[in-house]
Amino acid sequence: MRSLTLRIFLSFWLIIGVLIGLAGLAGYAYSERLRQAFENFEISDTVVQASEVLDSQGREGLTRWLREQPRNTPMNVFVVTPNGRDLLGRRIPRWAGRLIRRFDGPQRDWQRDNRDRPNLRPARPLTRLRGPDGTIYTMFVEPKQDAFREWISERAGPGFLFIAIVLSGSVSWVLARVVTTPVRRFREATVSIAEGRLDTRVAESMRNRRDEIGLLAHDFDAMAARLEQTAHRQQELTRNASHELRSPLARLRVALELARRKAGDLQEFGRIDNEVNRLDELIGQLLSFSKVDAANDEDRETIDLAALMRDIVDDANYECRSSGLDDISVELSIDAQPTIRGVRSSLQSAFENVVRNAIYHGAEHTAVAVSVGEADGKAAVTIADSGPGVPDGDLEKLFEPFYRAPDAMAKRADGTGLGLAIAWRAVQSAGGVIRARNREAGGLAVDIRLPLSPRRS
Amino acid sequence: METDEDNAKVLIVDDDADLGEMLAEYLAPEHLDVVPCLTGEDGLARLRSDAFDLVILDIMLPGMSGLDVLKALRQESQTPVIMLTARGDDVDRIIGLEFGADDYLPKPFNPRELAARIKAILRRAGNVGVEPTGNARTAGSIRIEPKNRKVTVSDVTLKLTGTEYEILCCLVEQPGEVVSKDTLSERALGRRLLPFDRSIDTHISNLRRKLVAAGAAEETISNQRGVGYVLLPGS
Repeated sequence: MRSLTLRIFLSFWLIIGVLIGLAGLAGYAYSERLRQAFENFEISDTVVQASEVLDSQGREGLTRWLREQPRNTPMNVFVVTPNGRDLLGRRIPRWAGRLIRRFDGPQRDWQRDNRDRPNLRPARPLTRLRGPDGTIYTMFVEPKQDAFREWISERAGPGFLFIAIVLSGSVSWVLARVVTTPVRRFREATVSIAEGRLDTRVAESMRNRRDEIGLLAHDFDAMAARLEQTAHRQQELTRNASHELRSPLARLRVALELARRKAGDLQEFGRIDNEVNRLDELIGQLLSFSKVDAANDEDRETIDLAALMRDIVDDANYECRSSGLDDISVELSIDAQPTIRGVRSSLQSAFENVVRNAIYHGAEHTAVAVSVGEADGKAAVTIADSGPGVPDGDLEKLFEPFYRAPDAMAKRADGTGLGLAIAWRAVQSAGGVIRARNREAGGLAVDIRLPLSPRRS
Repeated sequence: METDEDNAKVLIVDDDADLGEMLAEYLAPEHLDVVPCLTGEDGLARLRSDAFDLVILDIMLPGMSGLDVLKALRQESQTPVIMLTARGDDVDRIIGLEFGADDYLPKPFNPRELAARIKAILRRAGNVGVEPTGNARTAGSIRIEPKNRKVTVSDVTLKLTGTEYEILCCLVEQPGEVVSKDTLSERALGRRLLPFDRSIDTHISNLRRKLVAAGAAEETISNQRGVGYVLLPGS
């Protein structure tokens, strides 16, 4: 069946049809049984026969006769004594018991009245026999029933309700599953792709479906494949581009040194050297900026955040000392030992970039404060400097590529403008949040929150 | 190209022909005979047929990659190797060192820096011939024979690169004392440690792996975070 719409339509039709049919059948059976019992029985041969047996052989004879009734007829013949018991001790159907009790009420003397008016046919469906000793027996028939038909006729009301609930419930449940299972699978696949597992596919799990969902799965896979291909190509491109861009730079540098050797050390050579360095750094940053998103799941690992920050702070202090920024120090305080999950290299460069940024923009003779802890069930890193901060309106823009704080333009021309953008992307791709705020005491604080990962034991 | 007996022979494997030629020109006054070659296969063939004092290996080569050349080379010899890597590809950097490269230089490098590194490594390698000094040193189960640069752990001989050997010597000379990463870098690589530079850590972890494989205790070389490394030879 190709169409899901058709399938849902037919299923509902089936439920409703079956329910109506069952209700109709049960109703018919019920009325038919009553009609037979009430209208045909009183004048039948069976009644005549029974009265003859009772006359000639008494109660014992009638009991014997009753027991010897052929079994293959559609009727069960009941004979009920005045105290409400069947001669054979069978359970009396509820409807018959009710009728008997009613007739035994105010019109108990009906048998006598009947004699006085012989042509009056009683509108009463129950046959009564008078035994030789004057005992009155009530005789009626009940259609023979198997357990199921009895169950239907005896408990029709609640039974139907039960059937209706169970049947419609189960079919609806199956329907719901049919609709939601693929939707859930699509959702898992979408989440998986969003997390960077671009090789996720769904069609394999719905191979046998030829309906709209099967087609959707097919299209979904085509889309995922396309995404994967594009991402792969872009990765390849940036990788190759950075290689290709750097080859001329490498040659330029060697040529520069050769020129320097031949022409003597001109001031311009130093400038060229600086520009080559900046170009090189920019290429590197562009490369890591585009690489952050391309991380695969297998690149992720569990990281001890405190240890990572300790390394970064050590290196940053080293960098300060070796580049003449002796008056700036980076101080680390560790309040907790959170572990996180992510791509080590990109998170490391994220934190390095933020720390470097704080060093560059922090005021002289001050410390950059780095703290590691846990807050609100997340790993928390705060990197704070005592520099001029950033205008409040620009706090959001800080993480945009090539944004430069107003003072950065004026003071120092180093930095590529990509450092914090890389940090933002890396933190995002690890499922975290990075925010900047101006400290009350002055200076900029960058807060990074990352989801905790259970420590591997 | 002049061929001076005292000049060191350097093989440059890089698919950038212009770069190779310019480097040869630049390094010639530094008493280095540079032989440029363009592919990994060619480079490996030359290394097998000719003796070189040092190899400069670009990691990104068409066909056989620089890493493959390095792996093949390390099967046969401990010739010092400087890898040229792409800056930002931290994975390549570390992998180069893990497979036994002595040092790495991210491209585009300053040729003065390259010359300095070549000389540092050659100087260190040259020490072998110049200084057959010192008696065998032992620290715990580790035994170093400076004469033939042989290192054994409980009589198992280790195959160490020049850099790993120097680092081990440095640590063995001062057992139980913390040796800073700077000192190790100056001694083994002939240069100052750069910021965010994990090369010493990588060499140490290679060295540790080889020591453990030969039966030394895991904590023989212990990391003193932020300070350096210390050799704990045990009893």
